[in-house]
Amino acid sequence: MHPELEALLEIQDLKTQRRELGETPSRDMQEAVFGLSTEEALSILDAKIAEMEEALAPDVRGRYRRIANKQPRVVVPVIRGTCYGCFVQIPTALASDADRNEEVRSCQSCGRFLYLID
Amino acid sequence: MELREFFTEGAIQLDLKGESKDEILKELIALLAVDEKSQGILYKMLKRRENLGSTGIGRGIAIPHCRSLVVNRLRVAFGRKTSGVDFKAIDEQPARYFFLIVAPPLEVSNRYLPVLGKIAQFSKEPDVSARLDELTNPLEFLALLQEKGV
Ligand SMILES: [Zn+2]
Repeated sequence: MHPELEALLEIQDLKTQRRELGETPSRDMQEAVFGLSTEEALSILDAKIAEMEEALAPDVRGRYRRIANKQPRVVVPVIRGTCYGCFVQIPTALASDADRNEEVRSCQSCGRFLYLID
Repeated sequence: MELREFFTEGAIQLDLKGESKDEILKELIALLAVDEKSQGILYKMLKRRENLGSTGIGRGIAIPHCRSLVVNRLRVAFGRKTSGVDFKAIDEQPARYFFLIVAPPLEVSNRYLPVLGKIAQFSKEPDVSARLDELTNPLEFLALLQEKGV
């Protein structure tokens, strides 16, 4: 996998974790079941996300910021040839590439970064 | 929804070999049928969650969990390490039973939190550690979930 794509994936996963921790059912469960201090956890996650965003290569970071300013999901999976950001079909050549995820690719329709999974 | 339907025999390991928290996490992840690269990313995410606060909820039970883009559906695994490992659990006791839950960021059926809740509920059953200790094969684990009606 392309190292920048891996970094993007990790950032997106952290943002998912961060978003969920800010929502009532998840927050309540984290506090009740795991005794998590959510306020502290949120600030740790925010700091980590900011640090990882800064570490992105400048061109990738520019593209990342443009999308992140508009929507929460910057990296989306491609499942069975469909971009799960905008639900538009990805060109077959791209979706079936043998070197999948070895390049940082964006959806031509919505601009989000693409991660190909089975 | 029943917990039983999320577990497969192949994702149940009653004799984990790991001697540390990290080794146990890796072993649990390996029970999910995902490629090596995805395993590495899941490991990082699970570690990040553990760093916020241990998922060891006491009485020998730990529920490591995360959402990640590398999986396309909810997956669970169960592992047992009878001698226990230090998991930095709430009660500072070694963890011996591990429920791993991973899910994609968005699921149509949204079962991640309910599954997490059911496992937490199951863990509160007074005889659960004794029963988990007695298990001799994965099918008995599945039968126990069914018996407890979770
Ligand atoms: Zn798209």
